[in-house]
Order: sequence, then C-alpha cells, then structure tokens
Amino acid sequence: MKRKHLTIVLFLVLATILSLSCSKQKDENSPITITIWHDKEDVVVDVIKQALEPLSPDIVVNFERKASLAETLKLVGNNPQTAPDMYLYAHDKIGVYVEMGILEPITNLVNSESIETLVPMTKTAATYKGKIYQLPIYFETLLFLYNKKYMKPEEVPSTTDELLTYVQNKTKYGHFGYIEQHSTPYYFGPWINGFGGKVIDEEGNPCLDSKETLQALAYHLKFVKYMPDETEYATVNTLFSEGKAHTTIGGPWLIPTIKKAGIDVGIANMPIINQTGKPLTPYLGVQGFQVLKTGVQNPEKKEAIIKILQILSSEEVEIKLALASGCAPAREGCYSYDSIKNDEIVMAMRNTAENAVPMPNIPEMDVMWTVTGNLLTAVNMSGKDIETSAKQAQEKALSLIENMK
Amino acid sequence: MKKKNPLKIFTINIFFIIACFFALLPILYAFSLSLNANSSILSSDFSFIPKVLSLKNYKAVFVEKPVIMWFLNTFSLAFFTVILSLSVSIPAAYMFSEFSFKGKKPIIRILILLYSFPSILSMFAIYKLLSNLNLINTRIGLVIVYTGTMAIFGLINMKGYFDTIPNEIEDAARLDGASDFMVVRKIIIPLARPSIIVTGIQVLIYVWNEYIFAINFMTGSDKFTLASGLYTMQATEKSGSWAVFSAASIVISIPILTIFFLSQKYMISGLTSGGVKG
Amino acid sequence: MKLKKNDSFKCYLISSPSLALIALIVVFPIIYTFYISLTNMNTYHWFNPEIIGFKNYKQALFVMDSGFLKAIFITIVWTAVNMVFQMVIAFSIASLLNSPLLKYRRLYKTILMFPWAMPGYVSILLWKTGMFNSQFGLLNQWLTKLGFSSIRWLASDLSAFICCTVVNLWLALPFMIMIIDGGLQSIDRSFYESATMDGASTFCKAVKITIPCLKPIIGPAVIITLFTTFKQFDIIYLMTRQPGSQTGSTIQTIITYAYENAFISNNYGYSSSISIIIFIMLMVFARFSLFTNKKEEAL
Repeated sequence: MKRKHLTIVLFLVLATILSLSCSKQKDENSPITITIWHDKEDVVVDVIKQALEPLSPDIVVNFERKASLAETLKLVGNNPQTAPDMYLYAHDKIGVYVEMGILEPITNLVNSESIETLVPMTKTAATYKGKIYQLPIYFETLLFLYNKKYMKPEEVPSTTDELLTYVQNKTKYGHFGYIEQHSTPYYFGPWINGFGGKVIDEEGNPCLDSKETLQALAYHLKFVKYMPDETEYATVNTLFSEGKAHTTIGGPWLIPTIKKAGIDVGIANMPIINQTGKPLTPYLGVQGFQVLKTGVQNPEKKEAIIKILQILSSEEVEIKLALASGCAPAREGCYSYDSIKNDEIVMAMRNTAENAVPMPNIPEMDVMWTVTGNLLTAVNMSGKDIETSAKQAQEKALSLIENMK
Repeated sequence: MKKKNPLKIFTINIFFIIACFFALLPILYAFSLSLNANSSILSSDFSFIPKVLSLKNYKAVFVEKPVIMWFLNTFSLAFFTVILSLSVSIPAAYMFSEFSFKGKKPIIRILILLYSFPSILSMFAIYKLLSNLNLINTRIGLVIVYTGTMAIFGLINMKGYFDTIPNEIEDAARLDGASDFMVVRKIIIPLARPSIIVTGIQVLIYVWNEYIFAINFMTGSDKFTLASGLYTMQATEKSGSWAVFSAASIVISIPILTIFFLSQKYMISGLTSGGVKG
Repeated sequence: MKLKKNDSFKCYLISSPSLALIALIVVFPIIYTFYISLTNMNTYHWFNPEIIGFKNYKQALFVMDSGFLKAIFITIVWTAVNMVFQMVIAFSIASLLNSPLLKYRRLYKTILMFPWAMPGYVSILLWKTGMFNSQFGLLNQWLTKLGFSSIRWLASDLSAFICCTVVNLWLALPFMIMIIDGGLQSIDRSFYESATMDGASTFCKAVKITIPCLKPIIGPAVIITLFTTFKQFDIIYLMTRQPGSQTGSTIQTIITYAYENAFISNNYGYSSSISIIIFIMLMVFARFSLFTNKKEEAL
C-alpha cells in the first residue's frame, strides 16, 4: 500500500516538474518571432512564407493552422503568451473581436497608399465603426456556373424569369435545371440582396420581416420547388459533378472539383431579377490579415509587423496568393496584370464585386446565421407560411441580439 | 433434443450475421468509398464493391498527412491517460467498494450527479485553469484533462464490479496476513479483470477519438492527434475529399479494433473458474 | 467490516488522487461556470466582466418560451425510448452471445464493437450523408431499386426522431453489450445448474437469476448511459440542425435548444446561467429517478 501511495505521489511530482520545465523554455535568441494563425491550405501559406523570406533571419514568421480559429481566438485573445500576433481570416468576425477589444486598427500599421489602392468593396468589408481593422488580400464571391453540355453560352438566362422557365422545362428524369444550397443563408444572399433586402443593417437591426425579404423568400421558393431536399454542399457538388444539374450558383472552390470530374463548366454573369432590375447579388467574403493588440505591445514586434504588412501589400504577392487560393486579389493594381486578366474566374468575381454586398461584420451577425437558416428551412423545407415564419424569425433574432448584451 | 440443435445454431448465427451487417453498414460504406478510384462520395449508382478498385486514397492518407506522427501523438496520450486513469481509479474504487467510511454515500451520489454536466461546457473554465498553470500546449495538461474527465466514470464503473466480489475471498486473504495492497494486487485485480479492461478500453477510445479538447489545447500541427487531424480533413466546401477522409477514418479505427480483439481473452473473469462456492 | 477511526483517513488518502482530479476537472469548471453566470461576460465585456447578480437567471427563466417546454418533453421521451431499447437489445444480444451454441463468439463480438471504435462525429456524418441523404443515401437507393419512392428521412419530426434514435442505438449499444456480457460471465454457473435441476425454464432463469445478479454490475453503466443519452448533443445537432445542412425537422433537446438560443449569442454569462439551470434540472431528474431506496442498494 505504501509503495503504491509513494508511486502515485512521485508520479504527480514528476508530472508537475515536467510541466513546469516545459513552459520555461522561452526563446532568448534575438530573432523576433511573429506568430500568424490561419485556416488556409498549405498552397496559400507557402506563397506567404516565400514572400516573407527576405525578412529572415531577423524576423521569423511562424504559421499555425487552426481548424477552429474563431473559437480559439476568443479563448486566448488577450493573453500575450498564447495569442497570435496576427491572423489571416475572413472579415466578418472583425466586429466581434473589436468589441472584445483585441484588434488593432490596421491604419496604424500600414501607409495610406496601401489602403487607397484597394478594391472599394473590400475596404468597406474591412471597416467597422469607421476604423479599418483588416488588410484585405483577396476576396471571393459566388458565381453563376453552368454545364456547357446542356447549356450553350448563348442560352445562359439573363433574367431570373428566364432561368425559372428553363428550370421548369428541364427538371425531370433525375436532372435539375438549377440547384444551389437553398436553405443556407450564405447562398440566399444573392436573392435577398438582389431584392434590396438585408438580413441585418449596419446598426444591428435585423430585417427579416421587411417587405423586400418577404418578396425574396417568395420568389426564391419558386425555384426551391425544383431542387433536391438537401441543402448541403455535398449534394450540390455531386449533382453538378455528375452532370445531373445544369446550372448552379457556387463559389470558386467548386470549380476545381467540377473540372476534375470532367465537366465543361462555364461562368456567366448573374441573372437579373425582373422585379427589381438588379442582378442576383452575392455576399463578398474578404480574406485578410488582422493584427492583435497583444502583437503590437512590444515595439520591436510592432516594427516587424509593419514590415510584414508592407511586403504583403505588394501587388505581386497578392496576385500569387489570389491565384493559389482561386480567389480575386483585393488590390486594384493587380487587375492590369495579364495573369489576372486572363483568369475568367477572377475577372468574373471582380465584376460581381462592383455590386456585391460584403458580409456584415458586426457582432450581431453571429446570431443571424442560425436564425436565417432556420427561417429558410421553415419556408423551403417545411412549407411553412412565409409571413408568419419571417415574423417569428425576426422576433427570435431580436431576442437573441438582446441576449447578446 | 439433438434434432433441435442444428436449427438453433443456424438461427442464432443468422441473427448475429444480420446484427453484424447492421453494425457494419456505415463502415462498409466508408470502406467501399475509400477503395473507390473516383473520389466522389455520393454516386447515384452506388454499389458496395466499387467498379474501379484503388488503394490511392489510403496512399494519400499516409502521404499527404503526417498520419504516423499523429498516431504517435495519440498513442502516447492514450497510453499515459489509461495508465494514470487506472492507477488512480482502481485504488479509489477499491476504497469506495470495500470500506465504509464517513461521507462515502454522499460522495458517491455527488459524483454521479457531477457526471451529468456536459464536459464541453467546462472547456472554457478548464482552459483558464490550464493557462494559469502554463499547461496549455503540453501533453501533460491534456492527459490531466482526459484523466479528470473519465475519473468519475472509472471510479463508479469499477466500484460496481468490485462490489460483486464476495467478501469471503478477501477475508480469507486477510486471515492469511495479506495487506490491503496485496489484496488488491493479487485478488481484486485478477478477479475484476473484465471490468478493468472494459474501463481501460473505454478510456482509450475516449482519448483516441477526442478532438474538441485536443484542437483547442494543443497548438501546432505537429502536436495533432489522430482525431484532430481527421477533423481537419473533413470535406468541407473548401477542402478535402470524402474518399480520403473515409480512408483515414478506417485507418484510425483499426488500432482500437485490434486492441479490442486481442483483449477478448482477458475478459473472462476468474470468478467463474473455481474460487469460493456456496 | 473493520471500522477503526483511521480507516476513514486511509480511505480518503488513497482515493485522494482520483478525488483531486475530479475536483480539478469537473468540480472547478462547474463552480467557475456558476461564477461566470453571475457576471455580464459577453462580446462587449469579454475580458473584464462585472458581477451583475442573478440577472442572467431572470432573463433565462422568463425567456423560456414554448420551444423550451417542447425541448424538455422531447428530451425526456428521447432518454426514455433510448434507454428502454438499449437495455432490451443489449441484454438480448449479450445473452445470445453467451449461449453455448455459438462458435464464433469472439468474431461476432469484435464486429459488433465496430461502431464504438470510430470517432462519433464521423459515424454521424456517414449516417447522415451516406444513409439518410434523400438523393444518394444508401437507404433511398435501395428503396428506389426495389421500386418504392425515396423517403425524406430527416425532414419530418417523427422520422428524424426515429433516425436519430437508430444512430444513437448504433453508437451506444456496443458499450452496453460489453458491460452486460462481462456481467453475465461473472455470474456463478452453479446457480444455473441448480436451477435447471429444479426444472426451471430459460425464461424463469433469466428473470430470477440473471437479472438480479446483473443489477449491481450494470447499475453504474446504466446510470452513465442514462446521463450520456440525456446530454446527447452531437447526434441531434449534426444530423438535423447544423447551419448549412439543416433538414427541416424541428426536434430539439434541452441541450440543442440551449445551444441555439444562448450559446451562439456569445453571451457567456447568459449561456453559463442556462448551463447551470440545465445542470440543476438534471440533478433533480436524477434524484427522483435514481435515488429511490431500491436503486441505492445497487450502488
């Protein structure tokens, strides 16, 4: 008994010593280490690593891939020891982090030229309460994709009514004229924006029961009736890759998979909604670098970050990044380069960016995804009445936003 | 009576074959997906035997991702957790089972009630705790978290089994002069082998498949466990392939099954073979 | 039983590592959560929350609308249905496994343990996309091949409930089977022998010998499974409610309801108070269903 007792105590003591010694290994060398969190593919990170090569050995950049970056950042945001110095992520979480007080305005760290030469919409996306918190690098929007086997470029519908007719005629024998992730809020974006509606406005008031939203829901429902039940990516991707769906609205990430499956895919402009004269206007998602306050506390680190951001604002780097990730660069100057001009996908997204609506980056948006998703599910899949469901969703959104405070 | 037997044997085997098929259904699906040469997950004409067999997905699992490293990470985490867990829980379970002492009943009740608190909700608090102890990015921290999470389970599960060991056996041993430690080592553990193994395996499986804590508490992809690595391989919109993901899932599950198969032998309790009768 | 005074001390000493770990990893978070529930920690006061008393609780209790009551009802039904099925099926399978007629026992047992070996969320994904998907799911493919029309498995509340139950049973049965199997093996064969000699039927033997002998062994496992089923979040959430892949069903258990109404609002103070409320409810539930005199003996 005593032996076992001792062993356990010894083990615990050993464990404590080990753990303490592990944490004591702080670097006392001179290179400054900047930690950048991201959730991107290796391909993209390699480009950044290469671009930042010139800075070593004085500045060493450490990249860490985090699968649930948003959540983890919330946990460590203000702890200088465990928080990163910068992170590469979508713009829509900016509001949340600013309110938590962990983000540093990027305007303190880059020169004004870097900001002025951005594609205007990306600047809007990076702005929260009047200050800019992100250095946009590249962005993506949804695209109208079609299978050239079933639709010739001339036949691409230019208005949504034309699309509806196509769908009504062609959806049979296991084929679908048009599919999309119909009950996913992000994909409902083109419809609601095209009708002039919003999920939430800049002040944080949800607009789920506004006239425009109701119109969008009703019109959208007409198309949903001809789509499969599932709203998830796997279904849409497979149906299109197998040639069972003729058209879809999807992101640029869909294209490599489709091409690999042997589909001759074409990209077209978004159809225009007859009722409003506006095209289907998708959300804009901007990926860029955000800097944490803990990263700039140390003046040496601040200098290092400024240098890093400078390199990353260059057009060449952005072009390489954009091409590696399949998205469009956020800097106007990039679009005079041939490599960009010849890329059909990128140019299509640039076009859409003229009218696209950046995903709202205010904290209140966090709760809207679930609420809007539920609303879409109720209307599209459970067949509930549009007005009542929208009203309920609006109330739910308001109460959730209340709860946030 | 002899005539009935073949029919009974036949029925019982059929029953189990059907049960096994049901148990294996999604796994067969994943398995066939992983052997499929064209990597789409869902195909409108699906058959269990893919039209074109290929091991390329498995190759991809080992080549594209540092699976071996994940495996070593997971293995060391699991090993230490199981050892720590058992060495901590067996004595405690024995104490709670054999002796009655002040406060035993209330503590047991409280422990059971505590088990009803979902561990995900504790994550934030545990994170704060670990970061104050500087244990965030360490294996030790994670082992402690895992052991703590399974501690109640271990204690209660094994105590239940220990309770069924007849006191006479123990009293006989004590009369022969055995100390508590010897009683535990030479009598309780061998007799309670099935329960200990079940508990050990349950802890092993928990650690093997646990990814929520692992992802949040271990930074750096070289510290990834199998489960967290697998999580990052999920086919979301932006990355990943279902076929490779299925292959990886199968690869990850194999060690556990092997361990289980091998440990079957030890699950037969010593109680039924002799001991004390009447 | 020897009851010398220092026995108590000895017992606590030996159990201390276990109890210490439990205190650290289980008790502390609960206390901390309670503390947070008394503050206003949310997006706007993330790193410097102030104590605001029981405001969060007031908010939680008054906002409890009909959805919450429905969630409570479904949680209770879910737990009851799953427990009953689990016990019955696990017992049957375990008994059959121990039948002397079975030759390939070890093989069957291993295969039946497969569901346990795979990470839970992977299995749930496979079930959802591989089996129940209305376009490509295996089940619908078989149905269409047989000439029937495909069913939207997860779309309506009732069928979604049944599907989730099936998945839960699939995931949870291996554990129960293992425990009961272990328990069955510990029952002294001589009991059965003397019963057979007295002319008892198989059924009688099962009821009068097996079940009472099993009770103490599987008691803990039953309790653990009860709580696990009650706390089950993954299955219902991942199968039917995850944003981006919702299916149209509206079944919620207390936990998914709490998640969708409190946790996503980033208001930790509020969510913590809901966690504590759920915890208290669980304890009340446990008190009434478990700690009747009869069951306490089993503990």
